[in-house]
Amino acid sequence: MSLFLIVALPFLGALLPGLMIQAGRRICGMATLAVTLTALVGLLSHLPAVARGEVVQARLPWLPDLGLNANFFLDGLGMMFACLILGIGALIIIYARYYLERSDNMGEFFTYLLLFQGAMVGIVLCDNILMLLIFWELTSLASFLLIGYWKHLPEGRQGARMALAVTGMGGLAMIGGMLLLGQIVGSYDLTAILENREAIQASPMYLPALILILLGCFTKSAQFPFHFWLPHAMAAPTPVSAYLHSATMVKAGIFLMARMWPVLSGTEAWFAIVTTAGLITMVLGALIAIFKNDLKALLAFSTVSHLGLITMLLGTGTPYGAMAAVFHIINHATFKAALFMSAGIIDHEAHTRHIPALGGLRKLMPITFVFATIASLSMAGIPFFNGFLSKEMMLEEAAHTTLFDTPWLAPVLATIGALLSAAYSFRYISHVFLGPVRDDYPHKPHDPGFGMWGPPAFLTVLVVVIGVAPFLAEPAVRLVTSAVLGNAGELPGGHLAIWHGVTPALKMSGIAVLGGLLILLAWHPLSRAWEATPRPEAKTIFDGVIRGSAGAAGWLTQRLHDGSLTRYALIFMVAVVALGAHAWFTGTATAPNRELIPLEPLPAAGWLLLVTAAVFLVFIHRNRLLALVMMGVIGLMVSIAFNYLSAPDLALTQISVEVVTIILMLLALNFLPNTTPVESGWPRRIRDGIVALAGGIAAAGLTYTILVQNPVMEPISGYHLENAYKGGGGHNVVNVILVDIRGFDTFGEIIVLGIAALIIYALTEALLRGPVRARLIKRRPDQPRSGDAHPLMMVVVTRVMLPVMLMVGLYIFLRGHNEPGGGFIAGLVVAIAVVVQYMASGFAWADERIRYPYHGIIGSGVFVAGLTGIGAWFAGAPFLTSAFGYFRIPPMEEFELATAMAFDLGVFLAVVGAVMLSLHSFSRIARLADMPVNEHAMDIDPSREMPQSHPSEGRTEGGT
Amino acid sequence: MFQTDFNIILPEVVLAVYAMLALVGAVYTGKDKLAPAMTWLTAIVMVLIAAWIGFAGDGSHLAFGGMFHDDPFSRFGKVTILLSAAAVLAMSAEYMERRGLLRFEFPVLVALSVVGMMMMVSAGDLMSLYMGLELQSLALYVLASLRRESAKSTEAGLKYFVLGSLSSGLLLFGASLTYGFSGTTLFSGIIEAAGAGQAPVGLLFGLVLIASGLAFKVSAVPFHMWTPDVYEGAPTPVTAFFATAPKVAAMGLFARVLHDAFGGVVGDWQQIIAVLSVLSMFLGSIAAIGQRNIKRLMAYSSIAHMGYALMGLSAGNAFGVQAMLVYMAIYVTMNVGTFAFILSMERDGQPVVEIDALNLYARREPGKALALLVLMFSLAGVPPLVGFFGKLYVLRAAYEAGLIWLAVLGMVASVIGAFYYLRIVYYMYFGEEREEGLDGGKSPVLWAFLMGSAAIMLLGVVNLFGIEGVAQAAAATLVH
Repeated sequence: MSLFLIVALPFLGALLPGLMIQAGRRICGMATLAVTLTALVGLLSHLPAVARGEVVQARLPWLPDLGLNANFFLDGLGMMFACLILGIGALIIIYARYYLERSDNMGEFFTYLLLFQGAMVGIVLCDNILMLLIFWELTSLASFLLIGYWKHLPEGRQGARMALAVTGMGGLAMIGGMLLLGQIVGSYDLTAILENREAIQASPMYLPALILILLGCFTKSAQFPFHFWLPHAMAAPTPVSAYLHSATMVKAGIFLMARMWPVLSGTEAWFAIVTTAGLITMVLGALIAIFKNDLKALLAFSTVSHLGLITMLLGTGTPYGAMAAVFHIINHATFKAALFMSAGIIDHEAHTRHIPALGGLRKLMPITFVFATIASLSMAGIPFFNGFLSKEMMLEEAAHTTLFDTPWLAPVLATIGALLSAAYSFRYISHVFLGPVRDDYPHKPHDPGFGMWGPPAFLTVLVVVIGVAPFLAEPAVRLVTSAVLGNAGELPGGHLAIWHGVTPALKMSGIAVLGGLLILLAWHPLSRAWEATPRPEAKTIFDGVIRGSAGAAGWLTQRLHDGSLTRYALIFMVAVVALGAHAWFTGTATAPNRELIPLEPLPAAGWLLLVTAAVFLVFIHRNRLLALVMMGVIGLMVSIAFNYLSAPDLALTQISVEVVTIILMLLALNFLPNTTPVESGWPRRIRDGIVALAGGIAAAGLTYTILVQNPVMEPISGYHLENAYKGGGGHNVVNVILVDIRGFDTFGEIIVLGIAALIIYALTEALLRGPVRARLIKRRPDQPRSGDAHPLMMVVVTRVMLPVMLMVGLYIFLRGHNEPGGGFIAGLVVAIAVVVQYMASGFAWADERIRYPYHGIIGSGVFVAGLTGIGAWFAGAPFLTSAFGYFRIPPMEEFELATAMAFDLGVFLAVVGAVMLSLHSFSRIARLADMPVNEHAMDIDPSREMPQSHPSEGRTEGGT
Repeated sequence: MFQTDFNIILPEVVLAVYAMLALVGAVYTGKDKLAPAMTWLTAIVMVLIAAWIGFAGDGSHLAFGGMFHDDPFSRFGKVTILLSAAAVLAMSAEYMERRGLLRFEFPVLVALSVVGMMMMVSAGDLMSLYMGLELQSLALYVLASLRRESAKSTEAGLKYFVLGSLSSGLLLFGASLTYGFSGTTLFSGIIEAAGAGQAPVGLLFGLVLIASGLAFKVSAVPFHMWTPDVYEGAPTPVTAFFATAPKVAAMGLFARVLHDAFGGVVGDWQQIIAVLSVLSMFLGSIAAIGQRNIKRLMAYSSIAHMGYALMGLSAGNAFGVQAMLVYMAIYVTMNVGTFAFILSMERDGQPVVEIDALNLYARREPGKALALLVLMFSLAGVPPLVGFFGKLYVLRAAYEAGLIWLAVLGMVASVIGAFYYLRIVYYMYFGEEREEGLDGGKSPVLWAFLMGSAAIMLLGVVNLFGIEGVAQAAAATLVH
């Protein structure tokens, strides 16, 4: 049978139980068993080839881009594990068929079980480490589902969570190790990796890869310090415990260590990590197991201990150790699965697994007693049972192992491990089966049907057969060992035998058995002492670590994300400055190649004023009025700077924009408190100040670097200077750029400007309709208002000035094409002229005199500009192409007319409309807020302190 | 000439015109009454355009003198963006309608932001870059504060806007510097000006500032601060949208700028991207641990995932871009499924976002719980689910580009990150008995998206639906 099919069979078969459960539990069990047996038969069909030392392969590219291939290969090691998985799997299925209650959903259980089986077979047969990772995590997933199968048991949940957390994360760590390994070799195929021992061990990435892979193995196989999850996972149904937690899944880590043995073992690091972890696990697991009162917990810790034993053997890195490991894998799988099943039988029959509540079962359950005793004795390492043989080999190996330059350390620890192992094995027999028959079992136990005791009995037969006639198992062990060794070691000589003479191992074994008996005798006092000893509880530590890290994570998050925008902006700025610094220090700056302009006293004074105003602003910004004044100073200096640098047009624009914005802000200040409240303490302000300084210095430095260098390319100003008159017919280049060369931009901009004004209007309207309205109406000024809000002098002067200002606007508009000026500036100037009226004569008065709605003015501006653009189409030119010509109407001089003028008119209108609409919106708020509003332009009554109520639209609607 | 250009941007034009017509049409007719129909219609239009781009698109074309690219890379991005946006729209119609959130502006804004995103992945010039970016961002600012009556939503929207403006400003500053030192805004010109090996310091500043602006858009640490607040504050469908299409677009644009404009000076940006990637992965993974709100959790999760995508980008070669594209496509699919689930979380008709509410969910809804389990494992990158392949791709890309430390740190971060995904699974299967569980959530649309996404995560392991080849072709056009 193809290897693909063997791996795929359990997966495909996983569909069967779900379907077959409709036909009854019997059929369902049979179908599941059939799937497993078919796969097993298929596997065994390759046995002759494998026995000849051939490697059976099946290859199929999957995601070749990633180096992921669905390759499988079968050698001795894979054969042994696959046989264990499928063979014990078949027994477990039979057992579970009888173990599960009627109320349990058997279809679901078998589906998960087959999924798990498929994943395990995949692990042991696949020839691609990426595939291996996939199957590896699949077993975690399937085991998660199986452990959680009995969802109603609270301890089951805890166990499942811990198992998932530990093995899942270990698996992820292993991905890293595997990637490193694949990278070293240049292939993700196991067969290729196994041939590159030298390359891997010489690579600097060997150690990280080793550690990451071992993390995966140790977590999966419950090795110290990750041994704690396995016993907690024992809340699962017994068939699951027997299958996953003793025979197969926990051996996946062992398998991988054996698989990687040829390339990873033999180094100092491997020896130190693996052997030490194995020894510690062996002793620790056994010690805890002795004092466990839960049958399954006892077995669970004994499993941990035996896994440690195997790990230790693999860690020694000698061929003999590998052989002992292989042999013990087989033996452990047989006796431990049998023991688990017996524990399950006791639980099933007596309805308890609590050892102190048991005892005397020998008479009630004779069959169970027989095979449980045989399996236990094998576990204890008594001759004529298979456990003895591999334990002897282990002790033999330990006797020759020098750990940390201390020759006695390994043998002593190994002996202690074996001693404790014997002790709990004896305890299992004596405390459960021996002693008097009791009358207080939760349920009167008796032997179950053959379906349940058959599978463990079969395993027990194997225990005895191998134990008595080890030569029967020898070919298999040798075959597997040679597969483990690969070409990294010679197969050791010698034979498996019961009697090797009086070797050190035998003496150690004797000590172990005797010591075990002694512990059993002194169990009760020892147990009391054990209970009284404080000891670290792995679960508490695990929970504590989890809690601690969650707390730390929460703290960190709170520090970073406390919802404060200031903090966010702070982090943002620091990051940008840091990135800038990185660029500064890694980049190579070209030397300054531009002459500096000599500094003259006048501009220096201006510069000083600008800087002083800016610095001052930082300190007095809480006084808002003063801050506005400072901003005015800054704006003025900027405008003058433009002028000084020969940009009169910009200067003009800047200064009119300054005026408009300052006035608008002044109006807005009316509704705000006079001072900004202090909300932060000194440390915080200093911190913010430092960040701000850093940002400022960075920006200044950057500007300086740019200014001292010539532009890389010829500036585009040359082009504009050359073409402004030729193509646009104007001497004012800036204006020609605005209305002609980049007319399309300007067109967009006036639309944006209009939209902005409309949004201000819409927001105000929405505001005035909402709850703010009431607040505005109730608002009382925080200081007394002058009764003379509109001084006569101002009113008169501004009205006289109005025509003059409008004339200036017109003048600026008309000269724009050739001299500094243009629609934009003219629009601002006209707007200022009107704004002045609003300020001087009052909003109500000014509003009444507006004949055209501002919306309309904006719209007409955009419309005019758009029409001008479209006009070009009639001349067969693209949108906004300008034309100009020279005309002479007597008696005037020759003058120029350009279509750009019409466009400029659009700009003009849009600007006027936009500024005025914003002002109008503010005035609407002001009129609601009890600002002094003159009904008549000159109604002056200096005697009043607060303005009396006036008929205004807000008033009549809302009342006071 | 104009005709050819126009034909190239026809899909964008169609969508933009559709959005504007829909807006005007709805204003003058039924307004919000039309919203459900419009939402579905917009989704359908997007799917159609995606199909059009996906099947009819061929070869590489330039429009408007190189400002706009139509090549396999942009088509990959566009199809992903359109499909994910359509999926989110389809998922949100019922949810928003039942809670009175569905205004007719919603589909229009989504459509407009999608136009911006399509522009972003096609940008070949700093101008078109900025245009696309701002169109997208402006629409997103509004979407973030769609729930106007909620203080949280408004606050989130405001924060997003303020920080977003800051980042846009920086990006513009960077773009100006780049222009100043290269004399052109065309990527093809910048790459020549930057030369090979080491860029002049002015260009380097430009690069750094553009990168920080874009890092904000992909919410990479330390420019990520808006993400959790916005994810939490915005209505869940909007959060779902935030987590999917804009991320693809921003990542696509990032790749475009880095390779098209600065492809010659990989050494200059590789370290920066790698550092952003590490910070994002770790902060995303660590900060998510303490979260009780599933939307905030998904925010941190998306930060971490962007870290992985950036890892692919930091490789600085074609394989890295391919890895990033594959990662993003997988990420988007997972997130659509996850958000379909989050949208269906409710009790007594009210949306629930507490993770605690998932306690023992598996007992009540085994099917949905299983689907979410698959998605969570996939998000955590556990084999054999598709999410694992995404991680594998980027890790390999980083590794092969010599960024071994990055790959190792990425592994460590993924181990940390697995914790909180697994915790959700743990709650569902082994949580404690609680009074206040979830009920309802019977929307067939959400169910279909959840199940579909989970099925993709499972079935995708066969050949990733052939996405690799497409991504490879896309990456090849970007990296020369």
